[in-house]
Amino acid sequence: MKSLTIALNDMRRSFRNTFALLFMFVIPLLVTGMFFVMFGNIKDNDAPTLTAIKVALVNLDSGNAQTGQLGQTLVDALQSEGLKDLMEITLVEDAAAAREMVDAQQAGVAIIIPENFSDSFSDTAAKIEIEFIQDPTLTLGPQVVRSVVNQVLDGYAGIKITVAESLKMAESGTLHYEEINRIVDEYMSVTEFSSDKTPMIDLRTPATLPERSPMLALVGPIMAGMMIFYAFFTGANSANSILREDEEGTLQRMLTTPTAQTEIMRGKIYSVGLTVIVQITVLMLAARLIFGIQWGLLTSAGLSALAIAVAASTFGILLVSFLKNTKQSGVIFGGLLTVTGMLGMVNIFTGNPQGAPLGIVPLFTPQGWATRAILATMDGAAVETILPFALVMFAMSILFFVVGVARLKSRFA
Amino acid sequence: MQPALLVQNLHKTFRNGHSLKAVDGVSFEVNPGEIFSLLGPNGAGKTTTISMLSALLKPDNSATGTSDIRIMGRSLITEPLAAKALIGVVPQDIALYQDLSARENLVFWAKMYGLKGAQIKTRVAEVLDLIGLTDRANERISKYSGGMKRRVNIGVALLHQPKVIYMDEPTVGIDPQSRRSILDGVIALKNQGMTVLYTTHYMEEAQELSDRIAIMDHGKIIANDSHENLIHLVGQKTRISLSINAEPETMVEPWKNCKGVSTLAVDESKINLLVDDSNLVLPRLFEAAAAKAIRITSVEIQEPNLETVFLHLTGRALRDA
Repeated sequence: MKSLTIALNDMRRSFRNTFALLFMFVIPLLVTGMFFVMFGNIKDNDAPTLTAIKVALVNLDSGNAQTGQLGQTLVDALQSEGLKDLMEITLVEDAAAAREMVDAQQAGVAIIIPENFSDSFSDTAAKIEIEFIQDPTLTLGPQVVRSVVNQVLDGYAGIKITVAESLKMAESGTLHYEEINRIVDEYMSVTEFSSDKTPMIDLRTPATLPERSPMLALVGPIMAGMMIFYAFFTGANSANSILREDEEGTLQRMLTTPTAQTEIMRGKIYSVGLTVIVQITVLMLAARLIFGIQWGLLTSAGLSALAIAVAASTFGILLVSFLKNTKQSGVIFGGLLTVTGMLGMVNIFTGNPQGAPLGIVPLFTPQGWATRAILATMDGAAVETILPFALVMFAMSILFFVVGVARLKSRFA
Repeated sequence: MQPALLVQNLHKTFRNGHSLKAVDGVSFEVNPGEIFSLLGPNGAGKTTTISMLSALLKPDNSATGTSDIRIMGRSLITEPLAAKALIGVVPQDIALYQDLSARENLVFWAKMYGLKGAQIKTRVAEVLDLIGLTDRANERISKYSGGMKRRVNIGVALLHQPKVIYMDEPTVGIDPQSRRSILDGVIALKNQGMTVLYTTHYMEEAQELSDRIAIMDHGKIIANDSHENLIHLVGQKTRISLSINAEPETMVEPWKNCKGVSTLAVDESKINLLVDDSNLVLPRLFEAAAAKAIRITSVEIQEPNLETVFLHLTGRALRDA
C-alpha cells in the first residue's frame, strides 16, 4: 500500500512539472502536428494507385496442331480487362525491337513468348520458358508484371498436365486426337483461366480496418516514432526521481520511516511504469482524436503499448542505476537515448517504414522492437503477429530490470 | 527505568580511497522525557551517529552483535520497522518536496508513518497548527522562507507522535527569530513528555536546552553529563581570550610558560587560555607581552562554560576544532 502512495506521489510531481509535461505530451504531438500541417494538402480521397507499367509483348509462338495457339492465349490473358490498370501492353513484331524499347526506356518490361511455346505443352519433357527483360531502374512495376506472368504460367502447368494425359489416352486409342483441343478448352473454362471474372491481383487493406488515407500513412509512423522516442525519455526521467530524491534528502527521510526498503523501491518502479503507461495512452488517444491516426486492432495496440511501456520503464531504471547523480543524467539521457532511439527508429526517420536501411542494427535496441511492434499494429496485424515482438521486449525488460534493480538495491542498502 | 534510547558501542568507518573513522565506540543512554544533546564541532561524528540511530547507516559491528541501538526497548537492528515507528527524525537539511504544498507534504509523510484515514486529516491539521502554518498550508514549499521550511521539516517528524525525536542541527542557517521559535518548540516537546536527542555545534543551544550533554570529538564521546557537572570538570578555571598586535603564534611559547596557565589554544586571531586565577595570571601575561614589545589589543574573561570544557578536554577551541 505504501508503495502505491510513493508511486502516486511521484506521478503527481511528474504531472505538475512543466518540462516533464512538455516532453511527455506536447513535443510528440507538436512534431506530428507539424508534419500533419506540412502534408495537409494530401487529400483523404487520394487513394493509393500504381502507375500502369509499359510492356512490350512479342508473340513468336507458331502454335501446335494438338494444343492450338497457346501463345495467343497468353497475349489475350495479359491484355484482359482486369490488368489494364496495371499494364499498358504494346505488341511488337520481333524480340530485338522489344529489347530496344526497354533499353530506350520506352517500355519497363519486355516479354518474349518463344516460337515453340505451344509445342512445349505437347512435349512432356520440354520446359515452358518465356523471356522476361526489365528496366533495372524499376522495381515495383516489373515485379507486378512478373507476378502476373507467373500466375498465368502456373495455370498453364495445369494445361500441360491435361494435354500430356490426353495425349497418353490418344496414343492408347481411348481418345481421338481431335478431342484434345476440346478437353483443353473445357479445362480452361472450368478453371476460369484467362477470363476477366477474377482479377489477377487484388489490392486490399485488412478487412477489419478502415482504409487509411495517404496522409495518415505518412503521419502515423511519425507519431508512433515520437511516442516511442519520448516514452523512453519519460521512463528514464521518471526513474531519475530515485537520484533526485536521494539528493533532496527525501529518500533518506523515507528510510527513517517504518517503511521497508523493498516497498520504497517497488513504489519507485510502479511510478515509472504507470507514468509511461499514462503517457502512451494519452498520446494514442490524442493522436486518434487530433490527427485521426488509426492504431490497429485494440488487442494488438494494447499489447504493443504495454510492451513499449515495460521496455521504456525498465530501460530507464537500468540507465539510472549506472548514474552517480542527476548532473550526469542530462548528458546520458540526451546522448544514449537519442542514439538508441535513432538507431531503433531509423526506418521511420528515413521515411521508409517498411524497409531496413541499417539491416538488423535496430533490433539491438528496445526502440527497434517497439517500432516493429507498433508499425505492424498500425498495419492491422493481429495479436499473434505482435506477440513475438512483445515477447522480445519483455525478455529485454527482464534483463534491464534485474540488472538495474540489483545495482540500485546494493547502492541504497 | 527502561531508557528511551540505549546506544551501545557504535563504530563506523568510511572507506572512500582512504579510511576515515567517523564514529569510534559511541555509547550512551537517554532517559524518557529528557533532552539529550550531542555537542561537538563539525566533523565530530554527530550526524553519522544520528544516521545510525535512524537506520540510515548500519554500525560496522552490527553483524557481530557487539553494538546495539534500542528505542523504548525495541532493537533497531533486529526489529527495524517496529523501532522506527517510535522515532521521528528531523534531518539537518530540509527534506521536503519543494513542488508540493505543506499540507500535501504532511499528508504524504503521515502515510509513510503508517497513519490512516481520518487520523491523517486530524494529525495534519494539528501539526499545521503547531508549526503555525495553517493559513499558508496550501502554498508550495518552494515559496516558503527558510524558517518556515524548517518548521515544516520538524512538523513532519511529529506527525505520528513519536516517543523519541532526533533533531540534527535544526537551527543551522536560519534567522534568530526562527531559531528562537524552534528552541521554544523543543522545550514544548519536552514538556509534553517527548524524549529529544538534539545535535548541535552551538554550545549556547546545548546549554539552554539540555538535561544532559555528550561532548563528541573525533568520533568519540569525551564527556557525558549534565551541564553543571561538565562545568565542574574544569574546576575553578577561567577562560581568557586575548588578541595581540602581532601573529598569535608569537606569544604561544611565552604565555604557555607563565605560571597559572594550564591550557593554551590559538583560535584564528585569538589566543585562548585556561587559567587558575585570572587576577594573578593576567599581569604575568601583560609582562610577557611587553618583554617582546607586543601590545595586547583585547582581553575577554569568561566564567567556565561548555566552550571552556571543550578547551579543557581537547586543548582546542570548539569553534576551531
